[in-house]
Amino acid sequence: MAADQRFEVRQETAWCPGCGNFGIVRAVAKALNGLGLDPSQVLFVSGIGQAGKLPHYVSGNVLNTLHGRTLPTATGAKLANGDLTVIAVGGDGDGYAEGGNHFLHAIRKNVNITYIVHDNQVFGLTKGQASPRSDPGMVTGTTPLGVYNEPFNPLATAMTLNAGFVARGYAGDQEHLARIIQAAIQHEGFALVDVLQPCVTFNRINTYQWYRDRVYDLDQEEAYDRTDRQAAWKKSWEWGERIPIGIFYQVKRPTLADHYSDILDVPLVRQELDPGAVEEILSEFRIG
Amino acid sequence: MQTLNIKIGGQAGQGLVSIGTILIRAATQEGWHLFAHQDYESRIRGGHNFIQIRLADRPVASWENDLDVLVALDEATITRELGEVKPGGVVIYDPDVLGQDAKTLVEKPNCIGLPFARIAEELGQPKIMANSVAAGAVWALLSEEIAVLHETLALMFAEKGEAIVQGNQSVASAGFARVRELTRERAVPAKPQGSEPRLVLRGNDALPLGALAAGVKFMSAYPMTPSTGVTEFISEHGRIARVIMEQAEDEIAAINMAIGASFAGVRAMTATSGGGFALMTEALSFAGSAEIPIVVIDAMRPGPSTGLPTRTEQGDLRCAVAMSFGDFPRAVLAPGDVEEAFYLMVHAFNLAEEYQMPVVVLSDQHLADSYVTVPPFDLSRIEIKRGRVVSCAEAGPDYLRYRCTDDGISPRLYPGFGDGLVVTAGDEHGEDGHLIEDAETRRRMMEKRMAKQRLVEENALDPVLCGADEPELMLIGFGSTKGAVAEAVEILNSQGCRAQGVHLPQVFPLPKSLAALLQKPARKFIVEANYSGQLEDLIASRFAWKPDGSIRRYDGRPMNAKFILDRLPGGVCHGS
Repeated sequence: MAADQRFEVRQETAWCPGCGNFGIVRAVAKALNGLGLDPSQVLFVSGIGQAGKLPHYVSGNVLNTLHGRTLPTATGAKLANGDLTVIAVGGDGDGYAEGGNHFLHAIRKNVNITYIVHDNQVFGLTKGQASPRSDPGMVTGTTPLGVYNEPFNPLATAMTLNAGFVARGYAGDQEHLARIIQAAIQHEGFALVDVLQPCVTFNRINTYQWYRDRVYDLDQEEAYDRTDRQAAWKKSWEWGERIPIGIFYQVKRPTLADHYSDILDVPLVRQELDPGAVEEILSEFRIG
Repeated sequence: MQTLNIKIGGQAGQGLVSIGTILIRAATQEGWHLFAHQDYESRIRGGHNFIQIRLADRPVASWENDLDVLVALDEATITRELGEVKPGGVVIYDPDVLGQDAKTLVEKPNCIGLPFARIAEELGQPKIMANSVAAGAVWALLSEEIAVLHETLALMFAEKGEAIVQGNQSVASAGFARVRELTRERAVPAKPQGSEPRLVLRGNDALPLGALAAGVKFMSAYPMTPSTGVTEFISEHGRIARVIMEQAEDEIAAINMAIGASFAGVRAMTATSGGGFALMTEALSFAGSAEIPIVVIDAMRPGPSTGLPTRTEQGDLRCAVAMSFGDFPRAVLAPGDVEEAFYLMVHAFNLAEEYQMPVVVLSDQHLADSYVTVPPFDLSRIEIKRGRVVSCAEAGPDYLRYRCTDDGISPRLYPGFGDGLVVTAGDEHGEDGHLIEDAETRRRMMEKRMAKQRLVEENALDPVLCGADEPELMLIGFGSTKGAVAEAVEILNSQGCRAQGVHLPQVFPLPKSLAALLQKPARKFIVEANYSGQLEDLIASRFAWKPDGSIRRYDGRPMNAKFILDRLPGGVCHGS
């Protein structure tokens, strides 16, 4: 198969017609095809929710784990076999609510994976409850008087923890999203791609039209410096008439694997198991 | 059997472990076998802690109550522990730390006042060397020669330089000389026979050593007493053994990280204690459904909730056997001593990979923190069985992760090791690993997974027996009660009671061979360290059986032979 067509998108899915997820899965396939990778070298790790199903709809290895547990699972897999391109996928409920603590610490560890968050500001699979990303006032099944919690800002949080790659895409702009995902995969370290994703069934506020009227590409801003953390952090709070998309912040930091470079000269999974290797350690406990 | 019980008591931070370690190493060098347990509070400074060392002229696996030597670094040791000293036992105390009331208590023969810190300072050494003064003082009751103690100090402090070695040796000599002089009338015990090399290990050494021998490549954990020793051991030795130990943000992350590594194809584990183990519930179920091998060490401490964080209990058994939602195969192992801990860790990894399921290894604070001397391990006994794994060449593009086979075991492929794609899910899935909703596939997949549980049961480890073959009395236990039960059985047999000990190194699934033992015409007692009789319940529900009695300890303190014997009803044995 031609190198640029190895990643195929499955036709049959369990998503609603018109779902923003279709734009994301096509952008993922496009990005991977553009990088010339083989599906056997790519591992998707996903949680639970509509987004968690994405790996089942595109070519690649799949570890479809528990709700919210995507990032630690992906971290373990990447440390065990650094040759794999690891892409973690989940929704905003999965990643920012159930997996919120893991989100913070995966960034701190700077494990070399890409994390794509389908950010539709609502719990889709459980039928439309408020998520940490829901805008205040949004009426949902669990917030009949409207959402009252402060929305979570994943980009600002990631930058506060000095994540090396912080970006936002829009499911309605596949070309742009594919470019961002490629840059994220090529980035050495933890790369966050938060994707604005219309939920056509449960979110009647943040619709395709709503986003089309607001999103703009940061690259079109002259003098935007993606290595300036303060400026990028400030930019991440722009959410209203205009909503920026693109790479907000990028900086190179030592990765988790760098810390273990002496052990990881050969990927763990390719190292021999040798019971005799314990002899040297046992000798510390030997007397006489 | 000649045995000698030495208890060293003091506050946290006073150097009990240092004195204990010096004596343990020196006594082993001298040829003693030993068992040493630790009792400490959930604090870093102050309080009252002790380490108790039982020396013997043959292997010992448990502790005794009555003390031959009590070393008091603080007042509480005198006020609380003095009553445990045998008639004729020796007390060595630091008069500088005793109040008037406590001083009155030690105004009697065989009580020796020795200002440990002052002696060190008078010799121009730092206060901290009080530990070596105390070690020298105790050594004077064990040997007429100080040479072996000096050798031990030289080895232990070698890295700190010659001056520190000599300083410790000189203060140890002072403590030694003082006590020798005062106890000249007293005979030292006969030097034990045999000088073959031995290992001195705690459970928290043997478990990670076993994991390393098994080829563990990845560990992730969150610190929790009393499992932390395992975690630190792998962290400390990881670079030599080429193993990654990554500290996680919580126990949920710890087990999921290990599961991720295992999925990628390496042997992976985590270690925790009750509360942390409970947080792993969800992931255990995931590993069961997704058929990913994982080894979890649960070092038990008394619950419920935070319970007694630094003490011992066997109250997580029911949890280990039944924890999590849905049905999935698993095994639960319960090593009874450090030797078993070492070899069972290898077995745990083999089981986890052969049956692609979670395996729980139950330890507890008593096993984790107690030192024991054992013969060197035989590494040639170690066999690594990685189960059914498809090679790169075999893994065609049509690879199915959950291919249905006769025994339910689907060959594994490590992702990236062939053209085939590895598709794994905790959601119900078809043979290809993709999500399904239909009843027929669900039924088939459930039956495929649970078929493995039958195999695990058929291959379950047999009970380990000791004592009489045709018993009139049977004591049944698991985990760290093994030594206490064995010693109780030995004492009973020496009194003419035909007693047998039954130790269960595998508590789930229980071996079928246990059924025959339960039918023997003996009075049977279940010995376990929990309130409700969790082992009893497990055996009762599996074999529709009831014991003649139960011996349970749930005060957070370790079981020993005396505890068991005191609770056996009178006349239980014809011979006694």
